Order: sequence, then C-alpha cells, then structure tokens
Amino acid sequence: MLMCRDLARIASDYIDGELGPMDRVSVKMHLMMCGHCRTFIGNLRASVDLINAHSSQQVDEEFVRRIDERVTESLNARNSGNGNSD
Amino acid sequence: MDTATHQSDEDILIQGLKSGNQSAFRKAVRLYTPGMLAVARFYLDHSAAEETVQDCWVTVIDAIQKFEGRSGLKTWLHRIVANRAKNHLRKAKREVSADFSETLDPELADRFAPNGRWATPPSLKINESAQALMENDALSDCLDQHLAALPETQRSALMLYEAHQHKSEDVCNILDVSASNLRVLLHRGRQKIFLMVETFQETGEC
Ligand SMILES: [Zn+2]
Repeated sequence: MLMCRDLARIASDYIDGELGPMDRVSVKMHLMMCGHCRTFIGNLRASVDLINAHSSQQVDEEFVRRIDERVTESLNARNSGNGNSD
Repeated sequence: MDTATHQSDEDILIQGLKSGNQSAFRKAVRLYTPGMLAVARFYLDHSAAEETVQDCWVTVIDAIQKFEGRSGLKTWLHRIVANRAKNHLRKAKREVSADFSETLDPELADRFAPNGRWATPPSLKINESAQALMENDALSDCLDQHLAALPETQRSALMLYEAHQHKSEDVCNILDVSASNLRVLLHRGRQKIFLMVETFQETGEC
C-alpha cells in the first residue's frame, strides 16, 4: 500500500502526468483517504505555479546592453566587410 | 501580399535575424537571453556563463543562416549554448556534479514517521493564486533568494521546464541528463520552494 512518504516521492511525477496508470490510481486512492497528502499535493502545485509566475526573466540590464554592443559591432564589421559596391 | 499573413512572430523575427537587422537582434537578445543563461548556469559559474552567452550571440549572427526551423528558435539557441558550455567544461576538465540518488529533500524526509505517514504534515493550505502571492514583495524576494540558493542543476532544470516551458525531451537534450534524472532535479527543486512558501506563510519570514 502506498504510504504518505511514497506519495511525497512521486508527487511531481503525479502533477506532471508522468506516472504510469497503476501508480496514478494508487495516488488517487491515497488522496481520497488522506487530507494531509491532499494539502501537500495542492501546496506543491501552488509552488510550481509560483515558479512559473516568477519572472525568471530578470536578467541584468547592463549585461543585455553589453550583448547588444557586441552584436552591433559584429553586424557592422560584417556589413562593412561585404563592400557593397553595386 | 497575403503570403505574409500566415507568418508567426517567430518567423518574422528569424527573417530579421537572417538579414542582420539590428532591432531584430535587440528583440531576440531580450527574449532569449534569460533562458540561455539558465542553460549556461547548469554547467558554468556566473561569469563564465555570461561570457558564453555573449559569445553565442555573436556566433548566432552567422549561424542563423543555417537555421532551418526544425526545432523552435528557443530550443536551437539553447542547444548552441549547451554545446559551448560543455566545451568550456571539457577544456577546464570539470564535470557537472549532481546527486540523483535521493528523490526526497532531507528536510521533508524528516517529516515522516517510521511507518511512512506524516509526522509533521503540511501546516497550511495555500489558497491564493500564484499571481496573488507574487504581489507580496517580501514573498517574491524570498522566492528570488531561494531560487538563487538552489544547486545550479536544479535551478536550470526548473527554469527550462517551468519558466521557459520546454518539453522534457528538450530539457534532457539540452542539459544532457536522463529523463529519470531530470525528474529528480525537478522534484528536488520544487520541494525546496514548497518548504520556503510554507515557512513564509507560517512565520511571515523568509
Ligand atoms: Zn498521505
């Protein structure tokens, strides 16, 4: 029988739909009987949503500008190297 | 004229990149650099990762000509970064070290009784949406701190899978980990964030 600790081990696989059908049924049965694990799964899901919502897009503006500069330099070097003579 | 109507934003961006359009590059750099950094950080320390990402953008100027669009632009860029980062590692004769043996975070593992039931069950149910939670600046800062403190391998896996919405196969490919090891990285990282949110909700402190 699936215990709370076993469920905690495979909780992410359950959330992501990566469990096989048998394990999935075991988890569902356990969740019907166990409020603690329902809370756990719910909170883990909320944590995943939080990671999603977290911008993660915050990259140092200064760094992005340095990339722009290098790209522009290379683009210019390439264009002037082409010798547009038509 | 209306052949252009079926083009996606990504197609238009790719065309811009192929023709060496400066504003296309500015746009792409802003769009894709965060994910590229996450890939590089899987392998390298902060400054080496930034250097690698910068170099990649310069190589993209020429390499984009050969881009055929079989994979999406994002996946293609992430592969370029991963390959460069791996080369960098090989030269430095270092290897990525990660522990894939234990699925449970030790702190969470301690909360079960010997019979496998909860000894210290989750204390509070999170009811607010992620958006609502993120409006709390203190919690958002705390999340920043905890994500930053994760082992690189866990953070990169989370960023690529969660924040950048890659499919598992792509993440495995880019990071060179097996499917089961990716599952461990994701689960370990998520548990840390779960524990952080729980502590924050209980104590109001990070
Ligand atoms: Zn349970």
